[in-house]
Amino acid sequence: MSFTSDLRVLLWKELLDLYRDRRTLFTSILLPLISLPLIGFMGIALVEQQPVLVAVVDLDDSTVRNELLNITVSSRWLVGNTTKILEKLGYNVTISHSINVVKNPDIDVALIIPRGFSRNASSLNCTARVKVLRRAGVQAAIRAESTIYSIINVFSRNISDAKLNAVIQLLGLNATIPALRNPVTARTEVVGISGQPVSRAVVLRNAFARILVLAFSFVVTPAASYVIDGIIGERERKTIELLLASPTTPQRIIYAKLVAATLLGLITALADIIGLVVYMVSVSIVSGVPFGVIIDPLLLVLHSLTAFFTILSTISIALPFITRTRGIRSASNIVSLVTIVALVFFFTGFFVDYIRLPNEILVPLYLIPFTHSILVIQGYVLGYISRALIHLAVLSIASVALLVIASKTIDTEKLLIAPL
Amino acid sequence: MAGRLMLVVKDLHKIYDDGTHAVKGLSFSLKQGEIYGLIGPNGAGKSTTLRMIATLLKPTKGMINLNGIDVVKEPFKARRMIGYLPEEAEVYTRLTGREHLLFYAKLYGVENIENTVKYGAEISGLGDKLDRKAGEYSKGMKRRLLLALVLMRSPQLAILDEPTSGLDVYASVRVRRIIKEYVARTEHSVILSSHNMLEVEYLCDRVSFIINGKIITTGSPSELKARYNALNLEEAFVKAVEEHGET
Repeated sequence: MSFTSDLRVLLWKELLDLYRDRRTLFTSILLPLISLPLIGFMGIALVEQQPVLVAVVDLDDSTVRNELLNITVSSRWLVGNTTKILEKLGYNVTISHSINVVKNPDIDVALIIPRGFSRNASSLNCTARVKVLRRAGVQAAIRAESTIYSIINVFSRNISDAKLNAVIQLLGLNATIPALRNPVTARTEVVGISGQPVSRAVVLRNAFARILVLAFSFVVTPAASYVIDGIIGERERKTIELLLASPTTPQRIIYAKLVAATLLGLITALADIIGLVVYMVSVSIVSGVPFGVIIDPLLLVLHSLTAFFTILSTISIALPFITRTRGIRSASNIVSLVTIVALVFFFTGFFVDYIRLPNEILVPLYLIPFTHSILVIQGYVLGYISRALIHLAVLSIASVALLVIASKTIDTEKLLIAPL
Repeated sequence: MAGRLMLVVKDLHKIYDDGTHAVKGLSFSLKQGEIYGLIGPNGAGKSTTLRMIATLLKPTKGMINLNGIDVVKEPFKARRMIGYLPEEAEVYTRLTGREHLLFYAKLYGVENIENTVKYGAEISGLGDKLDRKAGEYSKGMKRRLLLALVLMRSPQLAILDEPTSGLDVYASVRVRRIIKEYVARTEHSVILSSHNMLEVEYLCDRVSFIINGKIITTGSPSELKARYNALNLEEAFVKAVEEHGET
């Protein structure tokens, strides 16, 4: 029979078997479908729910008036503002006038307002210093610390404004407060590769693309597991010998299994995208950017195609090892090594702009197919469309070449008899 | 009944990668319409021999000729003439019996799929149960389905490795009947291996005793019994082994 006829028949069996294997289908779809939205929602929800106890210790407890500048500063104002804002953000705040309160192990962050605070803050030649104590190893305390710094910055700027205003009036200067306080300012404008400013939607879309790179991790694992089950599992379930005795070649049998596995991977990728879209809908609601602006259909198509070839290259690399192992356990261990390499790439692809790496680093990485998977997405998002398409072409050629090379190593005898 | 030579095996050897010399110079032939049995204990080399004839294993040395085709050189051509039932074959649990028949009929590229499946269904004797998932079948039903997969194409040579292994008496009797009827109907050949002397005596026209990868004697069940002055084939086997100093 011809290659296509054989493949069609073998694929019919594989897909029928896969279709009826509801547990595999269900778990392959469920994993990516829920994992990303869950990470997003749980992350936000749990971070918000972490109880953080903040102590505001007012050792100064004074109000000082600077007659020359005609300004008044009170430590109680800082205590009041800090307490009000922190409580509004959900933190638990306790106010004290004793330093001993920081010995309480339940306190995660403490704002210490030392003696002389109001006097120094209102003077012309001193700086008032407050101290923030943060409990080591408490993640939520970092957020509280950051909030306290923001409050202090605003408080400081208000006093600064009052002082500068008083000085301008005293000296009768033709000056503005911003010119005195911030004679040099900086502003960031996010631009595309053409140099034109890009909207917030584009920034969000880039963030979405980074998650898409990370999402490749979710599609390679189930596909690789399916191939192991299809080859080693079929040997262990004792169905492979009858199949190998048929007039088709072992290569065709394996091709059909790989195509079925890749289709499963694509289903997973689709579920993955749905999961991401759900996640991005929530982002669009929070950010106020219309959902349609964040989601780029062409990017999703590219992601699906890249996922397809990424899976194909992953399982092609693992194939010569899978066919030579004794059982599912050893095959899984070997495949784990390949998928871990893939996961390392996709995880770093979330943080690192591969497309910006210097050539002496990037060119050797071209030998790893996963580099091209990352570059397809990153290239497209940054506007290097042709570069993205070139990497997709390289990935597709590499994955097919790997498949052909891997299939040459398939040996009926080794498939049939587990090595000792 | 028996006609021209269907299978000729000469000086067949198989040495595995780990150095095990499983088959040591086996030679035998099989005529058209003949049922030939290989009898021996576990590890005697029966399954390895059958797997080599079925083209699944490559002989280290020797020749296998199937109706004029060199099996080693033209394995895929030979496979179309062969039906092979492995000893521990299993079914796809999520496919129905009929889907199994359809799948293998298509895979072998048979011309009349409908008739082939119909014949397979008849051989299996599974009736209405053919449309149930094979995972729900008993061991005997699975074995009958597998035998139907092998025989439905009417292969010129059916290779059956322990066809009734692990089956109860009733299931074994049904399987034996299928094999007998197949040969009577098609006049094709069958080579089988078995531990069951009763089965071999009932089914086989000719039998070879195989020990440690070597054939120690060959003949019809009645010839072997007479040669070793034995009441049954089992006794003949024991005496033959003792005579050749094999254990």
